[in-house]
Amino acid sequence: MKSRLLVLVMIVSLVLTACGGANAPAASNAPATISMMMWGDPAELEVWNQIVADFHQAKPNITVKVEVSDWDSYWTKLKTLLSASTPPDVFAMDAPLYLDYQSRGVLLNLQPYLDKNPDMLNGVYPQTLEAYKTSDGMYGLPRDFQTIVLFYNKDMFDAAGVKYPTADWTYDDLRTAAKQLTKVGADGKTTQFGFYSDLWDMELIWSEGIWAYGGDIINADHTKTLIADPKAHEAWQLFHDMMFEAKSWPDSTTAGEYGGDPFLAGVAAMTTIGHWAVPGYADANFKWDVAPMPKGPAGQATSVNSAGFVVGKASKSPDAAFEFLKYVLSEPAQKRLAELGFACPVLKSVAESDSFLKQKTQIDQKVFLDSLTFAHMKPVFKGYDEWSSAIGDGMAPIWTGEAELDPTLDASVKAADDVLANNQ
Amino acid sequence: MEYGLKPLGREKFWLWALLTPTLIGLIFGALGSVAATLLLSFAKWDLLTPPTWAGAVNYINLFKDPKILLSLTNTIKFTAIYVPGVVVISLFVAVLMNRKIRGVGLFRTAYFLPAVTSAVATALVWNMIYGKDTGILNFILERLGAPPVCWLCTDHAMYAVIIVNIWGAIGEGMIIFLAGLTAIPREYYEAAAIDGANGFKQFFRITLPLITPSIFFQVLISTINAFQAYDYIYMLTRRGQGDSSVPVVVFSIYRNAWNFFNYGGASAQAIELTVIVAVLMAFYFWLERRYVVYE
Repeated sequence: MKSRLLVLVMIVSLVLTACGGANAPAASNAPATISMMMWGDPAELEVWNQIVADFHQAKPNITVKVEVSDWDSYWTKLKTLLSASTPPDVFAMDAPLYLDYQSRGVLLNLQPYLDKNPDMLNGVYPQTLEAYKTSDGMYGLPRDFQTIVLFYNKDMFDAAGVKYPTADWTYDDLRTAAKQLTKVGADGKTTQFGFYSDLWDMELIWSEGIWAYGGDIINADHTKTLIADPKAHEAWQLFHDMMFEAKSWPDSTTAGEYGGDPFLAGVAAMTTIGHWAVPGYADANFKWDVAPMPKGPAGQATSVNSAGFVVGKASKSPDAAFEFLKYVLSEPAQKRLAELGFACPVLKSVAESDSFLKQKTQIDQKVFLDSLTFAHMKPVFKGYDEWSSAIGDGMAPIWTGEAELDPTLDASVKAADDVLANNQ
Repeated sequence: MEYGLKPLGREKFWLWALLTPTLIGLIFGALGSVAATLLLSFAKWDLLTPPTWAGAVNYINLFKDPKILLSLTNTIKFTAIYVPGVVVISLFVAVLMNRKIRGVGLFRTAYFLPAVTSAVATALVWNMIYGKDTGILNFILERLGAPPVCWLCTDHAMYAVIIVNIWGAIGEGMIIFLAGLTAIPREYYEAAAIDGANGFKQFFRITLPLITPSIFFQVLISTINAFQAYDYIYMLTRRGQGDSSVPVVVFSIYRNAWNFFNYGGASAQAIELTVIVAVLMAFYFWLERRYVVYE
């Protein structure tokens, strides 16, 4: 009898504990604890923990709890938290996806805070702020930016006797050099490719190519996709020829055999990618450097994208959250980010200082900054994820050699326009 | 406590008291999720704003959206080849393993190994086997004088992926069938041998009818697995942003829910998947009544 009562009590208490306790809401302004969520890898987490520790020293009444996930899980986790109306106070945002969140009303409008701190954004590169501006203010702030530049393998260039890329290179120079740097073995298999870049996401090469040829990606009110227009088509034709006629650019199946990055695998002589690849490439067993993107008939163009922070609308400590954002844009935090080496600091004074220009990896870091003068903002609009999937999925068969360029391009544009129509 | 009898009085109370935690978990967890998915399939929800009622729009879309239709046809094609493949091959392997030869334990272990290995790890190895220029399969083909095949390109990817999935599932099927085979008394075979039946006749007249319960079970499980197949397909055929060159329904559900802000559409697809599997189950049970022999 007694033992049965004991068992019942045990069960009831187990059930109650399992139900879990709801988190108590954060106390009022002074001593505040805010949660910060971002995507990244262990090296980034370490630097951010340092930034958070510095921030705590500067503002001892605010504690920041950092949570890091990998890219895919980050967005799933974030959406789950947002749908439960318990968002993190501060969370990282990728510029192209920003409007998908802002338009759904889950971000806090930072304009009132910015109006109270008018000089806060003075030292920030204006191109990096563009993506976050909406008609009623800024709902997010950038923390670092990426420009795409041309990476080249110095050893391969030396071995083939080809001159390194310069700031005056055109896409024709790129095509010629790539052909000179492509080596085919005795059995007909290519042992070295002149060039490789990812063609799924526009940021790596195809948006830059389209802009350099005078085309554009999408119209101003985001209702029509413009990547099949005549000028843009010239860029596509160039890529297609390099891949299937000159065979100096591996198709996606072949690239997959090298882990998706033939440049890092030492199989491709050139690639176009952003500063985020620098720490990974630092361990490569070949000498490499960077040069600006080549020029097209309409001039030089590259893509600028940024990662930023936003504040959840349902945050219980918005003032503390904004203080943290303010700190991220200040010199000490930007210096630490520059030393991390993943991205370029948005604060001009830090970017043009030795913290960024003289990093561990001895390459021409200034190229990333100079590229800002001719950089176009990576498009940001509602439905970006689905739209880029419509194009990326649709065009993928072209780059495995299974589909023709023109009809597939047109079909993908049509599918992309349908997505835009759904998201108006 | 007495077992097997209808509980009376005090025992009835204890019965419910001890079952309640699990029941609550099941009702809110499993049944609740199913009910929520059903409700959401009639709504338009982007996870960040409150859901809005959308009627049957998501279901109509299931038949109009080309991406969704493609993932459905891929899944059906996959299942149609995978299920017979797994059942036949694992039955064959089980029959071979059902004898007391030296080292049979080693063989059984070898066949069962894929089932206990991480799918991600084995898929990476398969990527190396299937590689177009650097793959082992093409290497062998070229040595034999045949032209290299692009195994993971769109026209062959489906079959390449099915082969890997079947390979992974042989072990489990073999275990099921071995259990069924060892239950057949040896006397039947001896009697048949005396009457002059050869190996084939013995198989089709004795073995096959008597393991129909195992075959039924294996077909059921394989069908469910086929509709849920994800890990090998993802690792072998993925492209950017969660896409795959052989998208199946599970891919589509995930992408619609988490990448396209279309939770309602994803829920409708999940319900569609459940209905298809339920119909197939009903069909299998009807077949069971007609063809399965229970001793």
